[in-house]
Amino acid sequence: MLRTIIAGLKARTARLVLSSVAIALGVAFVTGTLVLGDGMSESLRDEFAKGARNVDASVTLDRSSSSSSSDSSDGPTGISPEMLAKIRQTPGVAGADPRDFQQVPLLASNGKAKPAMAVPLASNEKLREFDVVDGRYPTAADEIAVDKRTATTAKLTIGQPVVLLGKDDKRLTFTLVGTYQQGTNSVSLSGGDHIGLTPEAFQALQPDQLPYEVVATAAPGVTQQQLVDNIRNAVGAGFQVQTGEEVTRQTMAQVSSQAGEFTTVLLAFALIALVVAAMVIYNTFTILVAQRTRELALMRCVGASRGQVFRGVLAEALVMGLTASVIGLFGGIGVSALLQRVIFSFDGGEGVVRLPVSGTTVLAAFAVGTLVTVLAAVLPARKATRVAPVAALRSQPDSGEEVARTGVLRVLTAVLFGVIGVGAIVFGMGIDDEETAMVVSGAGTMALLAMVLVLGPLLVGPVNRVLGALPRALFGVPAKLASANAGRNPKRTAATTAALMIGVTIVALVTVVANSAKETANAEIDQRMPADYTVSSVVYDRPLPKELAAQLAAVPEVAKVAPTTVVYGERAYFTGIPRDAIGDLFRPTVTSGSLADLGDGTVAVNAEYAKRQNVSVGSTVEVAPQEGTPQRLKVVAVVEGQRLSDGIMTLETSLRFPQAVEGYDSILVKLKDGVANGRAAVEKVTDPSPLAVLDSAAETKEQLNQQLNQVLAFIWALIGLAVVIALFGIANTLTLSVLERTRESALLRALGLTRGQLRLMLVVESVLMAMMGAALGLLLGVGFGWVITQALSTDTMAVDLVVPFGQIGVMLAGAVAAAVLAAALPARRAARTSVVAGMAEA
Amino acid sequence: MSALVSDVGTRTAVAAANLVKVYGKGDTAVRALDGVSVAFTAGRFTAIMGPSGSGKSTLMHCLAGLDNVDGGNVHVGGTEITSLADKELTKLRRDRVGFVFQAFNLLPTLTAEANILLGLELAGRKPDREWFDTIVDVLGLRDRLKHKPTELSGGQQQRVACARALVARPDVVFADEPTGNLDSRSGAEVLDFLRMSVRKLGQTVIMVTHDPVAASYADRVVLLADGHLAGEIDNPTADSVLSALKHLGA
Repeated sequence: MLRTIIAGLKARTARLVLSSVAIALGVAFVTGTLVLGDGMSESLRDEFAKGARNVDASVTLDRSSSSSSSDSSDGPTGISPEMLAKIRQTPGVAGADPRDFQQVPLLASNGKAKPAMAVPLASNEKLREFDVVDGRYPTAADEIAVDKRTATTAKLTIGQPVVLLGKDDKRLTFTLVGTYQQGTNSVSLSGGDHIGLTPEAFQALQPDQLPYEVVATAAPGVTQQQLVDNIRNAVGAGFQVQTGEEVTRQTMAQVSSQAGEFTTVLLAFALIALVVAAMVIYNTFTILVAQRTRELALMRCVGASRGQVFRGVLAEALVMGLTASVIGLFGGIGVSALLQRVIFSFDGGEGVVRLPVSGTTVLAAFAVGTLVTVLAAVLPARKATRVAPVAALRSQPDSGEEVARTGVLRVLTAVLFGVIGVGAIVFGMGIDDEETAMVVSGAGTMALLAMVLVLGPLLVGPVNRVLGALPRALFGVPAKLASANAGRNPKRTAATTAALMIGVTIVALVTVVANSAKETANAEIDQRMPADYTVSSVVYDRPLPKELAAQLAAVPEVAKVAPTTVVYGERAYFTGIPRDAIGDLFRPTVTSGSLADLGDGTVAVNAEYAKRQNVSVGSTVEVAPQEGTPQRLKVVAVVEGQRLSDGIMTLETSLRFPQAVEGYDSILVKLKDGVANGRAAVEKVTDPSPLAVLDSAAETKEQLNQQLNQVLAFIWALIGLAVVIALFGIANTLTLSVLERTRESALLRALGLTRGQLRLMLVVESVLMAMMGAALGLLLGVGFGWVITQALSTDTMAVDLVVPFGQIGVMLAGAVAAAVLAAALPARRAARTSVVAGMAEA
Repeated sequence: MSALVSDVGTRTAVAAANLVKVYGKGDTAVRALDGVSVAFTAGRFTAIMGPSGSGKSTLMHCLAGLDNVDGGNVHVGGTEITSLADKELTKLRRDRVGFVFQAFNLLPTLTAEANILLGLELAGRKPDREWFDTIVDVLGLRDRLKHKPTELSGGQQQRVACARALVARPDVVFADEPTGNLDSRSGAEVLDFLRMSVRKLGQTVIMVTHDPVAASYADRVVLLADGHLAGEIDNPTADSVLSALKHLGA
């Protein structure tokens, strides 16, 4: 039996290769994801290892005890210099340094600030977290080191001055003395700038801020535990003192779970790719078994049992699955390396590509590749056992004969899925909470997708007739033949196109929802930003200087300015805005109460906040800022609108809170009517200020759109793989069909079909199949998109359905182009076969 | 119809001169046709016979422009075809040649009627309805036109193939073992029709067969052995063909 299987595999190598590619791609996706995830956590761990090297003890505030004894705002916010000195003097301590960070505006060459992460560099060499690349560590308070990537992007060279903005936007000039290399971490991945200062210079930037941690290294001969005991005695209660090992363990756990979240998302997409790959495999084996009816029957004639035939087909699947898994495993490692390179290139820096291949990854690759292949082959293998020995004597039946006997079971299953789907969608739309509504309705749409998949063979006929009309009219006989071929075996065509349909449905769904959200947000921005420009700060915790508002008001082209402030309470934030700008430069929709009543000591809250906090007009809310005394404000109105803060108050009321006194969060600017180059006039005022940037509604929209487009592109790329696999499926089916129809093609050629017409016929067939999947997928995707936008819509916020016809056009064009490509090889093969050889084929 | 019959016996429909066809290379080369020269008169029914491996199918393939030749030339209706490119050959087959094969004559996706008209459609020609009706009625296919091939018996399928071959009024119809897969009654029907199409409709038919009874329906039998012409029989009977074949050692 084994010999027969091997011989069979050899004979059908070409036919199996395409299917193997499909499964290998799926496996590559899974392993690529796992390797990437492992690589990321490994690099995070390494990064942490750098931070943790030589740390024998760590001292932090004991949050658990302080929160119970006193209010958090009254207790110490960090470790005081006195305490640091005490730790340094503790016996057994060879060195101790504070660990801290803060965001500091770094002045770029264009005079504008950008936020940078600043850290104090340890005075003790053993406790330094980074490795110097060029130059040296800063030793004087006016010296600075920057991370290598920051140096590249900000075009800084050693010896040059670097300007930071200190308190009250004071310019502080440092000399760059060195660059260092950070590992991959959340800061370097986010592309933020990173700078290092001496502890003294660091402290000078924010004298009030105390370090959150002090790390110490032990003198020779002192164990970590001894050191911790000594320090604990020295610092007394209120501090948590841990050994370096303990801290490492804790951080490791955190790091792993962070990397895990990212890979979970990727794995979800890998799963889709695998489902699609499984369908391709299933289809391939079904076709192969159908084509081998005679061969299998012959084996039964010469004495093979049903079990042997079944095992023979499965063994073939096993070999194929194993091969594909190996290819996929290595492919996945390559994919991961490529992805890391891409991430690094986005960063502008260079990182080390890490490719840790864990046992789990290898196991997953083989489990997924082999298991999926074998499972997908079980049904076809069962079908193979039903071949009667006498079939060997009959002429090869046309595969069209075993077409959809549209079982009652099929229809019933479809009805069941339909009922579940519609039920879930209707139920989901009734749920108030958007997220739950989306999940429930989303599950409903997936049930409907399953319904369409089950109904597939029944849909092929009608869809084929509709889609075939255009090519029939355009290309005549070859297209007519192609359409007949696409419809001749509805089960096969359905299985082939289903894979593509799944991919396209999801892409279309995501695209529609994203575009709808984008348009809704854009409409909201238009409504919310009647001002021509908004001036805001590039560094989020640095407010704009107050004199800027007056300067802007003095510009002749400007009709009106309205400065806004922001007040942070506990889990809520409020906007302060001048009384006379409300209803003019700032126009929220009022649902109850009246903004006319908004005066001193009152607040208008956002509808969502009102619901969350269960307040209404007439209630009182307490706003407790981190610093300063809590204020009780009376609610006079409930307003609504997206991207609105939790509530608005007058500028004067907001000034009761110390943080609003420091400066303005933003300044709304309205130009006089008919002013030509207002932007230039406004920029004349904002340019000298390093923090101020000018936004118009259009620019805000642009920014938002860009972000959404990036997310969309990411999802397109991920789903793209599933689509590629599906197209391999089409190529595969077409190749197998061409082999099956060799004699038919020869007959057509004998009767006068030119080579070109034969090729055209196969291309049209391929395009028809692709269009069936794509068209149904688009229809479903857009429909599902509507469902999701409805589910996301609440009473206060309606999400309008926006169908991006441009992007859908691109998808359709892509499907057609890919289908032409998929048909290229089979068509070439079919056209090259000589008529006589084709006729001789059994 | 009289116009069609007028040049019977005078015009050459298909002719081959010094035809050579070699399969394989070097030591394993087989000369399937080794200098065959033969002419087929228009309006006659000719059978090509010979033992297995004699080259009779190869000869037909070369005459019909289905296969290229390694030497000599072939004329179909006055056109030299061995120098034609694939596209022109295809056009020639579509316009001037009809085929009836042993099996797998019809496209399973098309109805009997669509199959009959397929060649014309490929050529972009309008079918002559009167002619179509005549053929369909003679072949008794009227009530079968809307059926798919799988719904037809073997004899019916072969008759559909005959109808397709004739509907375009080709210069010549090539039939490759047209009765090979049929029971004797269906086979006789098909052969009767082929002979009738020659006698009454003035068609030219060249049939490859190894069945002496089938060959006896022809006006003339051309015998082939080992790639060479091995004799001819005019007005053959099953017996005369059988004895000639025995003589060839088949």
